[in-house]
Amino acid sequence: MPALSMKAARRWPGLAEVLAGEGRAWLFVAKTLLALYLAAWLAMWLRLEQPATAMITVGIVMHPHSGMVLAKSFYRALGTLCGSAFGLALMCVFPQQRELFLLSLSVWVALCAGGATLYRNFMSYGFVLAGYTAAIVALPAINDPLGVFDSALMRVCEVMLGLVVAGVVSDVLFPERLRPLLRQRAREHFAHFIDFVRGSTGGSIPRAEMEQAHLRFVRAAVELENLRASVIFEDPEVRARSTRMRLLNQHNMAAATSFQSLHHTINRLQREGRTAEVDALIALYRPLGAALATAPGDLHEPAVLAPRLRACARQLPAREAELRAGLAPGRAQLAFDTGATLLRRFLDELCAYVEVELALRGRVQRGGVERVHFRRGNDATGAAVAVLRTFLTMTVLSAFWIASGWPFGASAMLLATIFSGLLAAAPNPLTSAFVTLLGFAGGILAALHVAYGLLPGSSGFVMLVAASLPFLAIGPWLNAHAEFGGMGGGFSIGIVYILALKDPMVYDLAHALNDAIAQLAGVALAAASFVFVPRVTGSGWQRRRQVRRLRGQVVLAATAPLQGLPWRFESVSRDLFHQVIVHTRPGSRRSRELLAWALAVQESGRALIELRQQLRASTASPEVRAAVDRAVQAVAQLYHRPDAGRRQQAEDAVRAAIDACAGTPTLRPRLYQLLGALRDDESPLAAWTSAGEPADAP
Amino acid sequence: MPREIAIWGVLVPGLLPVFLGSLLLMVLVDLLIGRYGLHRYVWHPPLFRLALFACLFGAAALLLLH
Repeated sequence: MPALSMKAARRWPGLAEVLAGEGRAWLFVAKTLLALYLAAWLAMWLRLEQPATAMITVGIVMHPHSGMVLAKSFYRALGTLCGSAFGLALMCVFPQQRELFLLSLSVWVALCAGGATLYRNFMSYGFVLAGYTAAIVALPAINDPLGVFDSALMRVCEVMLGLVVAGVVSDVLFPERLRPLLRQRAREHFAHFIDFVRGSTGGSIPRAEMEQAHLRFVRAAVELENLRASVIFEDPEVRARSTRMRLLNQHNMAAATSFQSLHHTINRLQREGRTAEVDALIALYRPLGAALATAPGDLHEPAVLAPRLRACARQLPAREAELRAGLAPGRAQLAFDTGATLLRRFLDELCAYVEVELALRGRVQRGGVERVHFRRGNDATGAAVAVLRTFLTMTVLSAFWIASGWPFGASAMLLATIFSGLLAAAPNPLTSAFVTLLGFAGGILAALHVAYGLLPGSSGFVMLVAASLPFLAIGPWLNAHAEFGGMGGGFSIGIVYILALKDPMVYDLAHALNDAIAQLAGVALAAASFVFVPRVTGSGWQRRRQVRRLRGQVVLAATAPLQGLPWRFESVSRDLFHQVIVHTRPGSRRSRELLAWALAVQESGRALIELRQQLRASTASPEVRAAVDRAVQAVAQLYHRPDAGRRQQAEDAVRAAIDACAGTPTLRPRLYQLLGALRDDESPLAAWTSAGEPADAP
Repeated sequence: MPREIAIWGVLVPGLLPVFLGSLLLMVLVDLLIGRYGLHRYVWHPPLFRLALFACLFGAAALLLLH
């Protein structure tokens, strides 16, 4: 086979790629089938009531990457425990009041669906599962409240069995690991960042190039955080490095912001034609480029870079004093101080970044590091919409069930619960709802054919496997091909539910058909609810709100308590930006506008935080403090609602603060940087700049 | 150790606390392994972890419940 595919690869280069991809898909299919049958066999051997629940668990959890399976399983186990506890509590509180019972269940499921949209990682899975388990524990026991405890225990056992089987099979048999991907991405990002810094020591970078670099770095930062959150489940070594990897990401984001601010400052001076200051700053900057320009083999080797950067940082103050003496006192020195302060900050952060990377590449992790978190900019309104939609679906179904006395209402409710949660987190819910519905219908047909066409003539587990294997394989195969979307998930759930494998098997065609119709109705209603209450993610309304929130980060930087604020600001602003930018077309007007705002927010927000930190540490007089506070608040007001009047007020307040700070050299450069950011003619604030004023009179 | 324990009036098998205890122990072992990079000396780390867990759980169960 290898010889054949090599020959084929030489003749048709595309074919080898297809074969490799198909090989991976079939490996995944084989692993999923093995896990499915193992779960079914174990559940029958342990005499659990519904082996189908364990099989569905396997079907939902299996993923080609084993880190993903373990992460999903972990959150799923948590969700299952919470959900079953809630289901039990609900049954105890309302054993004879179906209206209140169904209403509370709807609220719970809706809250869980909302939680699922709030998080974009596998924590969302835990929420889906918490809702679904409450429903599968409570609904089948609705006619037999006394049996609810046994039912809950059985469901939890079945779900846990499915989780364990899926985890072991995917982790032990030919695991496909995410860790190499994480390592490769982390190294690539490190190399890109160092190259970018090295390549720009010659002076100014055009704004467009800076925007593209910012976009790339933000993507890398968010992607690395997402990967880290999954890989810690797969690999104890990554888990031991987890805190340090978070710190690395934070140092990188901080350094990127300082670097941008420094370049914006140099660019502004250049556009104003102040060559003496620009030349001095570039001369101050040059040793950094020299420190990064190592032998070609060591360009991205932190062990070589770290000592060189530290040496560079030690020599900086002497060089700064020398260059400063060569400039005219007054505004030239102030501009130079501003750039030098930024450069010092950047160099410190770059050193810290490279040193953490060096520690991460070591075999043994020694000592503890500062605990930092990548904070997310979660969208509460989007989650509230999901809560409302799911609540409506569930209440409509409950009302219909109560009013019609439908014997299979519980099945419809159950399926609506599962798919409300799963679809709420899908990127494009209407399409995936339709595709899932198709898959589900296909799964039902296949299950009916297997259960009533093939199984009656067979006996024993081997025959069961032989009869159902070709049909069960379809679901995972569809899942392994991304182009089919949610069809695989729908198919798997449909076939396993209707097949309802049991020992001994129960054959009841009328029951199965009624069940199938009820389940289809449940899925269809969950899908239809997206028509009435559409998803907000990606809509223009959501985008405008997110941009407002992005600007609100500057207000946060001006008002929130300083403890841990720099880390929080850097991660939330990037996460928000990343959420909005994925829904805009690259290069479009909206995308460019958003990028421009993102850069302005990064620079001003970080400058405000630095200013506030310096102010707290300084021994300035109360009048100076008041002036600086006014400036900070004025800038926050401007970002809260930008217009010409507020821009002018902010500028006046900052100028007044610079005048008031004549005796405090630590505060002036930061204020001057803020002034520069306000007057930057390439930032989005430029739209409100009144022309014809002295640009830089401090 | 008794074969079955009552937690708030619910009888659970004595193996359950043993299982949870071995899971906890496994987390600690994993922490050490990760910190010192010991998985480099193992051919198939997940299989090794599974086997180690089976040994821990089996030994604990035999010692405590036999």
